[in-house]
Amino acid sequence: MNVVMKDIHKSFGSNQVLQGVDFEIRDGEIHALMGENGAGKSTLMNILTGLHPKNSGTIYIDGKETSYANPKEAEKAGITFIHQELNIWHDMSVLENLFIGKEIKKKTGLVDNREMKRLAALQFEKLGITIPLEKPAGKCSVGEQQMIEIAKALMTDCKILIMDEPTAALTERETEKLFSVIDSLQASGVAIVYISHRMEEIFRICDRITVMRDGKSVDTKNIPDTSFEEVVKKMVGRELTDRFPKRSPKIGEVVFEAQNLHGNGFKDVNFSLRRGEIVGVAGLMGAGRTEIMRTIFGLDAKHKGKTFVNGKEVNIKNPKQAVAHGIGFVTEDRKTEGLILDFSVRENISIPSLKSLTGKGLLKRKQEDDFSEELIKKLTVKTASREIPVKSLSGGNQQKVVIAKWIGVGSKILILDEPTRGVDVGAKREIYQLMNELTAQGVSILMVSSELPEILGMSDRILVVHEGKINGELMQVEATQEKIMTYATGGR
Amino acid sequence: MKQLKKLASVFFLGFLFISLAACSLEGPGQGGTNSGSGSDSDSLTIGLSVSTLNNPFFVALRDGVIAEAEANGINVEIVDAQDDAAKQVNDVEDLLTAGVDILIINPTDSAAIATAVESANAQGVPVITLDRSSDGGDVVTFIASDNVAGGEQAAQFIIDQLGENATVVELQGIPGASATRERGQGFNNLAASLNIVASQSANFDRGEGLNVMENILQAQPDVAAVFAHNDEMALGALEAINASGRDIMVIGFDGNDDALASISNGGMAATVAQQPDVMGQLAVQTALQIHNGETPQAQISAPLRLVTE
Amino acid sequence: MQATKTKNSLPSVLKNLGPLVGLIVLVVFISILNPRFIQSQNILNLLRQVSINALIAFGMTFVILTGGIDLSVGATLALSSALSAGLMVSGVPAIVAILAGIALGALLGAVNGLLITVGKMAPFIATLATMTLFRGLTLVYTDGNPITGLGDSVLFQMMGRGYVFGFIPFPVFIVLITFVGLFVLLHKTPFGRKTYAIGGNEKASFISGIKVDRMKLIIYSLSGALSALAGIILSSRLNSAQPNAGNAFELDAIAAVVLGGTSLTGGKGKILGTLIGVLIIGVLNNGLNLLGVSSFYQQVVKGVVILIAVLLDRKN
Repeated sequence: MNVVMKDIHKSFGSNQVLQGVDFEIRDGEIHALMGENGAGKSTLMNILTGLHPKNSGTIYIDGKETSYANPKEAEKAGITFIHQELNIWHDMSVLENLFIGKEIKKKTGLVDNREMKRLAALQFEKLGITIPLEKPAGKCSVGEQQMIEIAKALMTDCKILIMDEPTAALTERETEKLFSVIDSLQASGVAIVYISHRMEEIFRICDRITVMRDGKSVDTKNIPDTSFEEVVKKMVGRELTDRFPKRSPKIGEVVFEAQNLHGNGFKDVNFSLRRGEIVGVAGLMGAGRTEIMRTIFGLDAKHKGKTFVNGKEVNIKNPKQAVAHGIGFVTEDRKTEGLILDFSVRENISIPSLKSLTGKGLLKRKQEDDFSEELIKKLTVKTASREIPVKSLSGGNQQKVVIAKWIGVGSKILILDEPTRGVDVGAKREIYQLMNELTAQGVSILMVSSELPEILGMSDRILVVHEGKINGELMQVEATQEKIMTYATGGR
Repeated sequence: MKQLKKLASVFFLGFLFISLAACSLEGPGQGGTNSGSGSDSDSLTIGLSVSTLNNPFFVALRDGVIAEAEANGINVEIVDAQDDAAKQVNDVEDLLTAGVDILIINPTDSAAIATAVESANAQGVPVITLDRSSDGGDVVTFIASDNVAGGEQAAQFIIDQLGENATVVELQGIPGASATRERGQGFNNLAASLNIVASQSANFDRGEGLNVMENILQAQPDVAAVFAHNDEMALGALEAINASGRDIMVIGFDGNDDALASISNGGMAATVAQQPDVMGQLAVQTALQIHNGETPQAQISAPLRLVTE
Repeated sequence: MQATKTKNSLPSVLKNLGPLVGLIVLVVFISILNPRFIQSQNILNLLRQVSINALIAFGMTFVILTGGIDLSVGATLALSSALSAGLMVSGVPAIVAILAGIALGALLGAVNGLLITVGKMAPFIATLATMTLFRGLTLVYTDGNPITGLGDSVLFQMMGRGYVFGFIPFPVFIVLITFVGLFVLLHKTPFGRKTYAIGGNEKASFISGIKVDRMKLIIYSLSGALSALAGIILSSRLNSAQPNAGNAFELDAIAAVVLGGTSLTGGKGKILGTLIGVLIIGVLNNGLNLLGVSSFYQQVVKGVVILIAVLLDRKN
């Protein structure tokens, strides 16, 4: 089976995700698809398998123009997409998972368990898998679940298998197992699209590589004809314009320190943050950056290690304590974690500060009005009135409201997790400006971001997280996108 | 603005203080007579408050009231308490507001209805109670089946059929319920002539009647008859007896449809049938007496009928 | 500023008026069909009749505003009023018995709160279970019989049967005081703001430093205490504690809250709306009785009114 995608365009609303992508899959090859987060890899594959319709461009399957209406149709034709979030029904057995939606029935209309078992055992044997068919899928390891998905795909006579970050959650041994399965699949003529951030893996198992950047396909090359360096350069090769306001930081004493911090999804994290400093936290999705922040803020329990605020050890167990120690957390998803959408701008801003706005048990409304008005002005939130629901504000202004509530309660250490996600370019600059003003006033910022230019443009210092560990630390002057990507993909 | 708020809270506190000093159990307009329109004899209006219409017994009772009222050209306003004592008190208040001349109340609970009867008394509306009475207030007439006599009827039937000293099992109703007490009392009045080998509660429930009877059958090799305080338990006991293959006479109480069908099919031997429609009829007749200035009896026993075929 | 304020609040004023308009239409309609309805005596009766549902529904409003639900209110009412009646029968002074009943109500509410927060159970499931549990405990405690002979304490008799100024029924007076207190609590204090915040977005509230678990514990306790207070008024009105008192009261309370425009998903609603919802249900019960509508049709009408109210709310 041979796939050619030509000049594919796709936009979600006003957001141009794909702007002319060419991609080709040849019979039986293993083709790597690489690019930064948000480059459009998953969208491209979702268009191929019919989950999203394309806006323009053509797809040829074996030379014939084709477009699938939905993933089920694509699956029937032999193209299966195994997503990063596995499609596993945890309470069902392995066997039930293998045949979900395509159960084999007897003439009576009852499910033919014997036949299904026979086919499943056959397929497992081919792949060299030994998972008991009756085991609840939720009890299987992630690696085993992945094998179930692969077996499920092959059961429908799959010719092209798309895998999105298949090794992200696998142990080394499971990864080796996956590679040997991939080898045998290739030998039996199945082509594989391998989406991954891991350079070593790609250079080890893939035949060709296509690099995407900002919704465009940059280049396609045979693996032997390229190198780590070339691929990284192509992935990040965008020019830093003056999207970032000039920073002239006045960096003071250490205000926060983590020592030997362990938690869910990360281990042995050590770093410090100084007064007036912006520390960028880079890394790939799922590397454990958000988890580190959540633990510092008391949302997740720490397993071991120490944290210090202003030189004193603190044991933060919940957000309330974090707030008391002057830490504010602007979460990645402001709609579900940052804002109360039905509340007015005023009410959102005053939430963490209610205590100081109360006298004799009653809320002092006048004081609350002045308080929120002052913060709206200070952070230049564009809103018709402090009384309108925050959900009617633009993304950038919503983000400012979240920051305002933390500044209002007197946070001196701000954790910003993807602060400009879903914010348009103009508003981004305003948020950067705001970060500069805040640090000038002595606030310190920890900024998690998946946008390398943002990390490079705003950070005084950069921590790069790889698989739950800080794999590198770079000062602003020495940092380059290439260095960051190298650290982020596990290099040194 | 601030001053206004202060003023408001001072006012509120003052109101609280004064009102607490002005508490009483005396309501407005109490002690007066009913100002209802029904004082002229041509348009007598009766209010009927039924405990529930989810039970055929009380539906028949209501139908008896309606039929007799229609025959005499009397209006009836009916409210259904749905077995909720609190709703019944509200219902009675509403009937009083609607201006009924006489109240017929079938209480959900004799203690809980007292306050409602008292309000009726306060407005000068005479109260007749049906099936259950009221623990408080003045009730002109209480009409109920004579459960004691019914219990005696059942015992007599067993003696007539099986002779004296027959071995008998008694299935009792919910412990403490008036029907349980009275039916049991009547039955035991003649107990000297019977050999009661077991007396246990099955809570007026068919399923429990089955279980309890099964247990008794295990324990008692020789049982000639079963008297159950209601038909539901009798029918349950009958199932247990049929399953055991033994031949035991079953007598129930109430006369509900299932029991009557069982008797005509040769299952149960007899039931002491209540006649709710007759109770309803009696209530309306009593109301008419009151309306005509006569003084009815304080307690009227509705007749019971032993059904054997 | 002033201009934007009026502009923004106009539709919301209309929206809040919805239930009130419905109530007025009902009152006018029933008054025309039966003028006795609007007599002051009947209005006072009606207010007394709704006072029990009002107290329960006030507590339910807080619970529903946090996005929860409390199905156990009726059973809580039964158990706590049985306890206070039992104490009174055994000679404990009425004031102590009443306070003990309310304290038990709060405790039972706290049990719900703990199951929901510490036990991480869905409120529907947790309170469904405790509803059955409390109901069972009431039957065990009362042995299935009503508790009577509650003594002649004036205070206790006042609770359900007394009057203030000789014409305001005492339960109505209690409802008024409670309403003012809860109105201030909900709309003027940090506690109220946090209640809305939790219902609006629990995660964001937690991250903002609100002690969500503690808030819920307090709110379910409040709901329990108010149910117990309602229970004591009920047992005073009935001069006895009924083992099956408060059966299905939770449904009337939820209906009142919903009629009052509070969203079952939490975060949106007003306690004034609940008061109006309570009155709508009370007017329906009382008015339909006065109009001589059969009890079977009464239930049909009530169901239809609730459906219409919710549909109108959806449209808004």
